[in-house]
Amino acid sequence: MGIDKVEPSDAELVRRVRTGDTAAYGALVARYRDRLGRYAVHMIGDHEDAEEALQDSFVRAYRSLARCDDPARFGAWLYGILVNRCRTTGARAARRRRMFVHDAQALDGAAHTDRADRLDWTDAVDRALARLPREYREAFLLKHVEDLEYEQIAELTGAGVSALKMRVKRAREQLQKYLREAEHV
Amino acid sequence: MFEREDDSVERVIQHLRRSVSIDPGLDARVMREIAQTPSPRRRIWPPPRPVWPLLAAAAVLGAILIARPWTRDTTSGSDAFQFVLVAPQAASVSLVGDFNDWDPARSPMQTAHGVWATVVLLEPGRYRYAFLVNGVEWRADPGAPASKDDEFGTPSSVVTVGGRGEGS
Repeated sequence: MGIDKVEPSDAELVRRVRTGDTAAYGALVARYRDRLGRYAVHMIGDHEDAEEALQDSFVRAYRSLARCDDPARFGAWLYGILVNRCRTTGARAARRRRMFVHDAQALDGAAHTDRADRLDWTDAVDRALARLPREYREAFLLKHVEDLEYEQIAELTGAGVSALKMRVKRAREQLQKYLREAEHV
Repeated sequence: MFEREDDSVERVIQHLRRSVSIDPGLDARVMREIAQTPSPRRRIWPPPRPVWPLLAAAAVLGAILIARPWTRDTTSGSDAFQFVLVAPQAASVSLVGDFNDWDPARSPMQTAHGVWATVVLLEPGRYRYAFLVNGVEWRADPGAPASKDDEFGTPSSVVTVGGRGEGS
């Protein structure tokens, strides 16, 4: 019993923003920050870059709110913006990583990294995830972590459903392989 | 340490589903940044100048304008750009882009014999834009480069405006 606070819907908040109520956008940011942040962090791998991508996505969405055709699906639309933003950041990060790998190999002869680190589960998962090709990681996270339907993922990524299913399958296979490798290091 | 294959992937999924700590200051940074930009519905430009003289020219020079759909208005000396779309079947066309926050209400286009045109003022910079036909159909500009970084899932074009006197 009691009085339940009814949160305004996305559509209602979008309508308010469009009529000049900027504060309503704050409610949308608070609503989606953690969930989208999780995707960005896992997709990009670097926390700082992920937060930058997330912030930028929120700002871009605000500036382009007039293009949100279906305010009731604001969340899906926002996801699409973040997915694309992560792709851009991911491409930059991949270039940086390649440079770091060369540096690291030059320094320690490649094989000797901290064994304790490698055996750490969290670290093993992060490394395995980072080794997946971007398309596989994206499909895997959207399907299994963000719990989206294949049709929704297809809308966000522009890939076909059968291609996405294959990417998720390959991602699972490769994750298993990488984790097994980590176990035997 | 690691279990059977399926179990290990399921464990990865459960691990990744845990919430991730996001800097609580992010909300404030977003709100600060958007406070510096106009509301998605607020007008920032003065009302469009009368465009009928330009429309008459557009009707006559339609073929040329299709090939070069946006032009700098050199007669006024200001950075006014005319955007033109030939769409004889359309009941309404609006120009939307980064410069008007993609708000169809800001730059409705006027027609003369199926040639739709409007004029907007642009500062030097790079802008993405599109035409909204009949309020529902997004069309890229057939005479301009397509935008390669459109994250909104609708077709759009890109125009780069140089500084004064540089041409575009």
